[in-house]
Amino acid sequence: MTTWLLFTYKVPNEPSARRVYVWRKLKGLGAILVHDTAWVLPDTPHTREKLQWLTAEVRDMDGGEATLWEARQVFTGQDMNLAQQFIEQVDVGYRQILDELERKDADLADLAKRYQQLKRQDYFQSGLGDRVRQALIERRGSDYS
Amino acid sequence: MKWATWENIGVDRMGCAWLILRFIDPNAEFMFVPVGGTPLPEEYELFDIPGARLTHQRGHCTFHTMVREYRLDDPILHRIASIIDEADVVQDVMVEPVAAGLDCLCQGVRRISTDDDMALERGRMLFDALYAQLAAENQA
Repeated sequence: MTTWLLFTYKVPNEPSARRVYVWRKLKGLGAILVHDTAWVLPDTPHTREKLQWLTAEVRDMDGGEATLWEARQVFTGQDMNLAQQFIEQVDVGYRQILDELERKDADLADLAKRYQQLKRQDYFQSGLGDRVRQALIERRGSDYS
Repeated sequence: MKWATWENIGVDRMGCAWLILRFIDPNAEFMFVPVGGTPLPEEYELFDIPGARLTHQRGHCTFHTMVREYRLDDPILHRIASIIDEADVVQDVMVEPVAAGLDCLCQGVRRISTDDDMALERGRMLFDALYAQLAAENQA
């Protein structure tokens, strides 16, 4: 069973920079907003550490409120459903990389960088990630021949 | 001196503890407290805990803050601060290839250690090694 971290927060609309800051952090971690209510991430040492800091940071903001919870499914299938959403989220990016790798003039260095960024958010080891990795290695190899 | 930080140390807190022992307070004693636990121990100098003097500042990691606060002008320490910055804070523009590996190893060291004291003790070797390697490259 997966343990999940649930993050909720409220910051005043102005100044907007703070809203953007929190939102960027969550997107950077690949968090998913479930039912417009709580931001969710699987519980790993990395996600836990980052969300602890974000919670503390939001609480330090004027008028900021934040809570952080750990949660487990009650109904069978919830885990799988949510994990699937995480996989689909990274798969969008992986598919774009695979498409671009088809092109003759593909910028391999840039694609490799994008792969590494996605990989950090690939919490459930999408199979496509492996394919991208293999494709990158193959393209890199063929450049020498 | 007595120092306290959040439990389950990762790259930043491991690095800070190493920095304290090697450059600030060789006789340091450490205490690891649960996240969000209050009250925090009063006679302890807190680090890498929100609201403490020694914590994340202006988008930089706590290691960075400590190097500045204690006016350590060793260029190798500034370089390590920049590496931990990238390891600890997700950034789009990366210039320190070592960062991701260091983060991974620190997490792994914590995983194979029974508690934070053991993780700290073992982690010191990683940072000694990093320091030695960067110093050697700096000489070259």
